Order: sequence, then C-alpha cells, then structure tokens
Amino acid sequence: MSRGDGNSGFPVRPAVGYAPGGAMSDDLPLRRTYLQHVVHDTLVPVASRLGLAWVVCLAFFAVTAPFIANSHPILMQEAGRWSSPMLKSLEPADIVLPVAAIAAAVLLVRRKLSAGQGLGMVAWVSAVTYAATAWPSAPQYYATLRGARLELMSAWAAWTLLRFVGAMVVMMIVLLPIFVLPRRATMVAGACLAPLVVLTLVFPVRPPELVVYERYRQKEGSGQITFVLRAMVPYSANDRLRDQPELRLTPPRRGHPLGTEPNGADVLSRMIHASRIALSIGFIATGIAVVVGVIVGGLMGYFVGTVDLLGMRLIEIFQAIPRLVLLVAITASYGRSLYLMMAVIGMLSWTGDARFIRAEFLKLRKEDFVQAAVAAGLPLRSILFRHMLPNGIAPVLVSASFGVASAILLESTLSFLGLGLVDEPSWGQMLNQAREGSGFNWWIALFPGAAIFLTVFAYNLVGESLRDALDPKLLKRE
Amino acid sequence: MSDSGTSSVAAVEYAGSRQGRAGEPLVKVEDLRTWFPIRRGVFSQTVGHVKAVDGVSFTVQESKTLGLVGESGCGKTTVGRSILRLIPATSGKVHYRGDDLFAMPSGELRRMRRHMQIIFQDPVSSLNPRMTVGNIIGEPIVVHGIAKGKAKDELVASLLERVGLDPSYAVRYPHEFSGGQRQRIGIARALALSPDFIVCDEPVSALDVSIQSQILNLLDDLQKERKIAYLFIAHNLAVVEHCSDEVAVMYLGRIVEKATAEDLYANPKHPYTVSLLSAVPEPNPRPARKRIVLKGEVPSPSNPPTGCAFHPRCALTRLKAGVASAAETMEVRSGSECFRVLSKCVQEVPPLTEKAGAAGHVAACWVAK
Amino acid sequence: MAQPLLEIRDLTVGFDTDRGWIVPVRNVSFCIYPGQTAALVGESGCGKSVTALSILRLIAEPPGRILSGQVLMEGRDLLALPETQMRSVRGKDIAMIFQEPMTSLNPVFTIGDQIMEAILLHQHVTAREARDIAERSLYDVGIADPGRRLNEYPHQMSGGMRQRVMIAMALSCKPKLLIADEPTTALDVTIQAQILELLRKLQRQANMAMLLITHDLGVVAENADVVGVMYASRIVEYATVEDLFDRPAHPYTEGLFRSVPKLGNLAERLATIPGTVPNPAHFPSGCKFHPRCHRMEGDAKCGQIEPSLREVAGSHWAACHHVPNHASSPETSPRLDHRREVVAMATEDLGADVLPSAKEYRP
Repeated sequence: MSRGDGNSGFPVRPAVGYAPGGAMSDDLPLRRTYLQHVVHDTLVPVASRLGLAWVVCLAFFAVTAPFIANSHPILMQEAGRWSSPMLKSLEPADIVLPVAAIAAAVLLVRRKLSAGQGLGMVAWVSAVTYAATAWPSAPQYYATLRGARLELMSAWAAWTLLRFVGAMVVMMIVLLPIFVLPRRATMVAGACLAPLVVLTLVFPVRPPELVVYERYRQKEGSGQITFVLRAMVPYSANDRLRDQPELRLTPPRRGHPLGTEPNGADVLSRMIHASRIALSIGFIATGIAVVVGVIVGGLMGYFVGTVDLLGMRLIEIFQAIPRLVLLVAITASYGRSLYLMMAVIGMLSWTGDARFIRAEFLKLRKEDFVQAAVAAGLPLRSILFRHMLPNGIAPVLVSASFGVASAILLESTLSFLGLGLVDEPSWGQMLNQAREGSGFNWWIALFPGAAIFLTVFAYNLVGESLRDALDPKLLKRE
Repeated sequence: MSDSGTSSVAAVEYAGSRQGRAGEPLVKVEDLRTWFPIRRGVFSQTVGHVKAVDGVSFTVQESKTLGLVGESGCGKTTVGRSILRLIPATSGKVHYRGDDLFAMPSGELRRMRRHMQIIFQDPVSSLNPRMTVGNIIGEPIVVHGIAKGKAKDELVASLLERVGLDPSYAVRYPHEFSGGQRQRIGIARALALSPDFIVCDEPVSALDVSIQSQILNLLDDLQKERKIAYLFIAHNLAVVEHCSDEVAVMYLGRIVEKATAEDLYANPKHPYTVSLLSAVPEPNPRPARKRIVLKGEVPSPSNPPTGCAFHPRCALTRLKAGVASAAETMEVRSGSECFRVLSKCVQEVPPLTEKAGAAGHVAACWVAK
Repeated sequence: MAQPLLEIRDLTVGFDTDRGWIVPVRNVSFCIYPGQTAALVGESGCGKSVTALSILRLIAEPPGRILSGQVLMEGRDLLALPETQMRSVRGKDIAMIFQEPMTSLNPVFTIGDQIMEAILLHQHVTAREARDIAERSLYDVGIADPGRRLNEYPHQMSGGMRQRVMIAMALSCKPKLLIADEPTTALDVTIQAQILELLRKLQRQANMAMLLITHDLGVVAENADVVGVMYASRIVEYATVEDLFDRPAHPYTEGLFRSVPKLGNLAERLATIPGTVPNPAHFPSGCKFHPRCHRMEGDAKCGQIEPSLREVAGSHWAACHHVPNHASSPETSPRLDHRREVVAMATEDLGADVLPSAKEYRP
C-alpha cells in the first residue's frame, strides 16, 4: 500500500473573501449583506452593466431636461437688464427632480443610511421641495375645481376642504420624518433644503402660462437682446418654430441634429423631454403594482383559508381584464392624463406579483425561522415585513424590472395609436408622427424607436441579470 | 465573561422568571391530539385525518429533561410544536405552571411565550438569512421590553459569549457561520428571553459528530446554570439517554413507554423499545448481542393499525399467540404475510400501565409485565 | 496474497472556484480486496464523498479536476479510460448507491423502468427477460409483491423501500464493487438495521466488495473489515476495524470515540474535540488537526511539518508525529455489559428466530 506524502507541490492560493459553508474565517474582507451581494452579482455581467448605464443616462436626461433642452435662454441681457427666463419658466417638477437626484446621489456616496431609510429620506426631500414649489399653483386648482361639475358640494367648499387637507398633508410630510428617520440625517437634509425653501418663498415658482418661444429669436435677430446664453439644445419640447416654418419636417441638419417634426418641434429636444415620461411611467406604474401585489399576496399567503380563496378570485377578476382595451376605454371616457394612465397600468399589473408573493409566503410560513419568530412572541407586522418579506421579494424584483419595460411599451403603443398624451412629448407619439406627410419620415421613426428599443432592452438585460443573481443556488452557496 | 455581563444577565433572568409552587410540574400535557385533515376532491372535503399525535400526556419538572424518542413519523416533532402552539392542536390541554395555554387569548399568549422557547433541528433554515445575528437575538428582547438600545447590545454580547461565540459576531449574517456555530446562535436566541422551558427539537441531529458533544455539553451547562427544563426530542437513543432524566418512547402518535433514563435502558418493557435499542449500531466491532430486526415498514399515521399500533410488527404478541388458546387469537395480514396475534392487541388500545421494576415505569402493552 | 480489486494511489482532486483552488482530497491511497468491506469514516467536509465520486469519475469536470493519482481496478487505471469504456464500468463493474433515496430516483419513471434501464444497458437480454431479472432483484432485496411494485412510482414508496430499490438497481448487474455513500443516514434506526442486514447478506451471496462511506462509528463497527479515517482531505488512520476501535492511534480517532455518546455509558459530560472542522479553503499549515489536538504538548513540529501515513503497528497506519506506545483500553463499562445481557435475554424471550428467513421464490 503506498503512503501519502506531505505536500503534493500543487499551488494552492489561499482563497480570499467569503468562506463557503465551513468554519469562520476571521479575515474576510468581503463581508456583504444580502442586498450588496445581489447588487454585486447583478452587475457582474457586461450586458447588465451596459443596460444600467443606459438607464442612468436616461435618468440624467430626465432630471436635467429643462436645463439642457430649452428655448428659454439661461441668461439674457435685454435693454441693460439681466434676467434668466429659463429659471422663471421652471415648473415644480423641474425643481423636485434635480433635488431628489442630488439627495439620492449624496446618500449613495455617503452610505450612512440603510436602503429603506435612504428611500424614505429621498421621498421626504422630494415632498418638501414639491410643497415649497407647488403652493403658488394652488389657484390653478381652484380654477379647475370651479370649472368642474361637482355634485356633492360647491366649488368653494371643495376648495376649502382641499386647502385644509393640503395643509395637514404638508405638515405631516414635513414633520413626520423627524420621528421616523435618523435625527442627524434629517437635520442635515433640512439644513440643506432650508435655503431652497426660502428661495421659493421669496421667488415663488410661477411658470408663465402663455409662452411665446420665438420671441427670443426674434428679439435677438432685431438686436434688442444684447447677450444671450442658451441651453445646449436651444429648443423646448413644445417650440413649434412658428418663426421658421421652412424648418418643419426636415431631416437631420445643422442646428437640428435629429431633424424636426411635422409640427416644427425639434426631435432631439422632444426625445430628451420624453425620457421623463418613459422613466416615470415605468417606475410609478410598477411601483403601484408591486405595492398592491405585495399586500394582497402577502395576506393571502399568510392567512390561508378563506382569505386565500377570496384573494384568488380577486386576482382572477383582475387578470381577466385586457389592459390595452381598458386603457383605450378610459382614455376615451376621462381624457388623456398621465397620472390616470400610470394608475391604470399599475392596477392591472399587480396580479403577477401577488401570485409570486403568495407562493413565497406559503413556503416561508413553514420555515423554521418564521416559526422561531412566532415562538418568540413577535408581533404580526414584524413577522410579515421583517422576517418573511425580505426573503420572498426576489421573484417580485425580477418581475418588476420586466414590468417597467412592459409599461413603457404599453404607453408607447397607446401613443402610437393616437390615444396617448398630447401635450407632453412621448416616444410613442413621435413614432406616430413618422407616418404623416407624403412619405415616410425616417428620422422621426428611427430615433424614438431606437430609444424605446434600447430602454426596453436595457431593462430586460438588468432584469435577467437580477434573476440569475437571485437564483436559489445563490442561497446554497450561503 | 465580565462581571457586569454576568450580573446584568442574572438580573434580567430572575426578573423575568416566575416562581411556581414546589412539586408542581412546570409543564403538564394532557391527552394532546393533533390531527391534520386530509382533503380530497373538488371542494377539499375532509376524507380522513393524519393522526400525528394521538393522545399524549406527560409532565416536565422544573430544571429536568424529558427525552422524547421515536422514529420519523411518530409525531415527536409535532408534539413539541403543538405544545408551543406553533401548530394548532386538535384537542387536549397544556398547562404551564397551571395556566392552560390552549385557552389563552392571543395577547396573553404572546407574553407567555417568553417563558417557553424552542431550538430547531436545521441550523440552516432556523435563522433568518436576511438579518444580522445581533438582530436575530436582540429583536425578541426589545419586543418583550426586557432591554433597549445599549443595554440590549450588551445583553446580546453576553449571550453570544455564553454560547461560545465572539461577541463581535453580532454584526455578521448567518451564512458566514458553520452549522455548529449557527446552532449556538439558535441557542442564544432561545436563551434571550430567559425561559424556564425549552423544546429542543433534534438540536444535534444535523451536526457533525465532533460538534454534537460540544453542543450537548453546552445545553447541559445551561440547564444547571439557569434551571431550564428541556423537552429533548431526538431519534438518536444514545444522545437521549445521555441528556435526559426521564425518557418517553413514541410510536405512531402515542407514547408506548415512559421511564427514567436509567430504567428504560436497563429494563425496557415494550417490544418496540427493545427492538429500537437493539437496532442502534454500537461502536464495538465485536458485539455480543443478537440483533432484533423488525419486519415491515412503519405504518402511515393516516391509517394506523387498530388496537395497539405496533401489533403488525410485534414479535411478542406472535410469540404469545403461539402458546395461547385459539379463542384469544386472531389472524392478521401485514403486507403479504399472514400470522396470528392476540386478539386483545388488535382490538383494544393498551393504556400506559405501570410495570414491574422501578416506580413510574409505564408501558402500553397488554403482554409485557 | 490476493490481488486487490480496487487500488487507489495518491488520488488528489481539486475544484476551481471563483475564490481560488480548493483541494478536498489529497494523496488518498487505499486498497479494497474482493469480498471485503472497506469503510471511509469522517465528518462533513473531509472529502470522503468526493473520493467516492472520483472513483467513478462522477465529478463535474469544469469546476472539478482530478489532479493526480491512479484508480486501478483489477490493474486497469479507471482515470485513464475514455468515457465510452468508463460507462461500461459504471453500473456493471462498480455500482453506487447514494444517501438521499428521495432524490436519487427519477420521479417521473416507474421503478420497473429505472431498474430495467440499467439491466438493458449492460446485459444482452430481451425486455421480457429484463423484467424478470428486475422482479427477481426486487425480491432479493426483500420487497414483498415485487411484480406490483415494478409499476409503482418513487413517490408511492417509503424511504426504506426506495433505498431497497436503489440497492436492487445497483446490484442488478452483479457488480464486483458497491460504493455506498451514506446509505442509511437518512433512514430511521430500525430501517437502517434492515438495510445494513440486507447489504451484508447480499454481499455474502455475491462475494461483492463494498466501500462504505459514513460518519456513524456504530455502522462502521458492525459492517466494515477495514477502516480509513479521513480528516481534512487526507486519510489520517487506516486499520482493521478491531485494531481501530481497540487501539486508535490518531488523536482525531481517539477524540471521536470519546465524544460520541454510547448506550449504557452514562458519563456526566462528554469529552469533546475543541474547535471546528477546518474550511477546505483555509487548511492549517503542517498537520491539519494540530489546532485541535490534545497530544501536541507544545511541539512546533506539528504546526510545520505534515505527518505522513506510517505504519505504527502491524497493518495499522496513522499520520501523527506522536503516536502513543501503549494501547488505550477498549470501551467496556459495567453498564454496557449489563445492557447487552438485558437485550440478549429479551431476544431470547421473544424467541430465537426473529431474523427474516430466506424463502424460496415461487413465481
């Protein structure tokens, strides 16, 4: 019988990082939470990194759209007076988005708060900024209320009620995080926001209702404006080039790198502004779907029995409704509204997520650590949201990333059919315009079409990568 | 362990525990039955029941260990979980220091849970993979109002130290630990609320042999230190004998024999216990005993045999049928075999009766003395 | 001296993971003679299962690789065979049964289909004959009514039955060596006794060798002739079963014996081996057991030089720098003897013939 020798001479690199299944290694430089693990594994493939890069690009355009594509000059000197028409024309949303983006970026870099707290902080910052910037537009809502036919109460009563409710909501939004979020972070954020709020009180955000885009070009041409500093793309989304009618429906050329539409608007500018719609439709619709799906599915999965039976019937009812047809019908009855569309898409897509969560919860109920939580006398909300939900959310995350892509496609389809939004630019709507005129306007089809394709593709890539990263085999490694 | 750690732990311990009257059992289980309905058909009609636990009664004294032993399917795990109301029982009573647990409203039950805890078998699935070890141990402490903030962190650190882990591990996640270490974390979690009674559901079955002895010694030390009573559920007879003061043997949802550990292993009365003891492989290459190999499989708990559930596999009843008169015997089929057994074993369920030997040694057998 | 049926020489198997190379089997060597039962004992992570899988070349090649060594079956090196020839070895010359009977059988095929597949692959028989052979092999493993059982699916059978079916499948082609990887760990103790009894009987009938992989010392003591104790990828002790249990030479073996609770031995506290099994990615230098060893006595050699397997007594090898000269006495306590007497009396009481007797099969 042969004997074994000492070292076979084979080079064995000591493995760094996480130790699979065996004893504790005390020198672990890569100790990660599960979330960090998943994020890291999702971003390892090149494809998903490219996808994420595209989404980040889109997000950048969405946030900075009014600053990089605007007919209003950034800075202008007219008859000796300096003014900034761009700043004057900002809407509340134009201010909230950059502030929220900056807050998110700061939190990502500093990493002092957990993921949930970070989201809450960003939401709070956005809410405060929105309240500070939107209050001057309140009279518009009163006018809308007056115009609408209210059967239940007079317009004035409704207006008072709205003001009261609005004030309450604002107070809650501003004061609530002090008790929920970490005190220090809230105070720092508040201190940074304070100058902004003061600014909006001194210079209320009142975008002009009637805008004549061509007057800047005309005044510059006639010499009234002595100095002008324009945005990178000096055309707004709704600038129909009424002073340059010959430039309507032209292919890409100098001054309009992506061409112009039949009504005169610059394609590049509209595409940049449309990225907002694309992103927000996707996220908000999917957000609604996930929240509703998690709540319904979670309750069904935990309280099996009658709740489960009724919930399944509810799911079946909602699944039977055809999305496109309902959207068309609602658009026809209630007019075109972005928020309405997002809400409807969200309320029709929650069933898949509910099923996933229900399946996961049914499995998780039997797991020992959930039984241990029950045995320790923990309250129900802790068992559901702290113990079960983080373990069962994986398929919903994957479904959500594909759902965002699907929502974008749905909105584009509607717009292409001519039933989508009119005022706000959207890629689908631009695709619709490719057919107008005598021939086929290839530049209006190619660029927005490519944008839709790239966006959906990017979400799918990230979604696939996320699904691979969340594979149960990952749990076996742990 | 630092002094302040010990004293804070001790203070918390005795603040939480309730003092009972001497001699009264800590936990008393009376005729516990847990039946799971079998549903078939379009409308999920109940066509039968899986009688996982079918009339189990025992008591656990303070600071003592009752071992519950049996093979898979005998219902021992279900007993443990039914006592703690993790699985709803069908009937019966469980008294903790005199209070009926099954009759309690849910709020009071939640508060009562801090006195009774459970350690699970599988170290992998018994810890929430998404929570840090410190949170896993610390959350019940906060929820029951024992400690908050810094005091809670100190308590968690002292618990980790007590079970043999470095207190700095509180920020790590379960997947970074080995099986034995995870089981220690599970023990620390069970100790966090200073319970008087812990159900140990096969705590060492999933661990390596060399780790088993470490964990068993730890459980032993904790029992002496903190006066905890254990319900020790296991299928490894040697481990149960080592750990328990009293042992109950279960078969198909019923207790078939109960005695002190010494007595059971020295003087087994029930034929099932005898065959179980003889089937355990012994680390001795020259065994002097004869092996009893039971015929047949363990019957399913959804369709248990009538009378004494062991009669199809029991050699004792066959032996007695061979010498008894024809009137007292009847023929039964088991699988493809036909043989004669005593009619009493087929028709009537034997109660737990006291047998000759040490006091308190009971067995459910019509034949054994 | 007879020729060994299977000889493993210096086997080293490694896995290329994204965290570096992990070598769970290193310089493992042992022999199995025809008709002999060899046991590989060790805890999880020691490499015993990987050794067994490498004999049949069942290690997935991309992450795993057999780095060196030979596996000689009757003189032929199995590691050098092309895959086509290896397939005729698997199932025919060497068969394997696994730990989890629940997952080792294909749930969508009947038992009969699965057994017949193995028979038809290795033997030149018609389907009718294969069915008869399958029925006969089910009867041989003690399954009643084998004709009906052939048409059943795995989920309709209990764990013990499924393990019997696995054994029937493995033995249907009369292999020369059976590798049993923890065959009874997932089974109850009474079923375990039945299965081990069955394996012993079949082994005697066919003069088949068996490689038994387990962590249960009791199973080893009652079934094995020769034992190899594995720790951290190497064999640290190798002896006949009597020698191993009477005089364990390696401190790990010694520690294992002392830390296992034994029936009839009511010690107050169990002796323990401190520490935990080392991680294959982070093996200690020198002797892999030295951080947990009680015999070190401060000798620095144990931490620097890895001891090689050397003969410490006749046919008894151990890999340790400090092998004791005296023998440690075998474990007998008065209680253990008393227990044996009691069980012996009880079995006598129940009648002599309680072992299943072999009946003639009448179709």
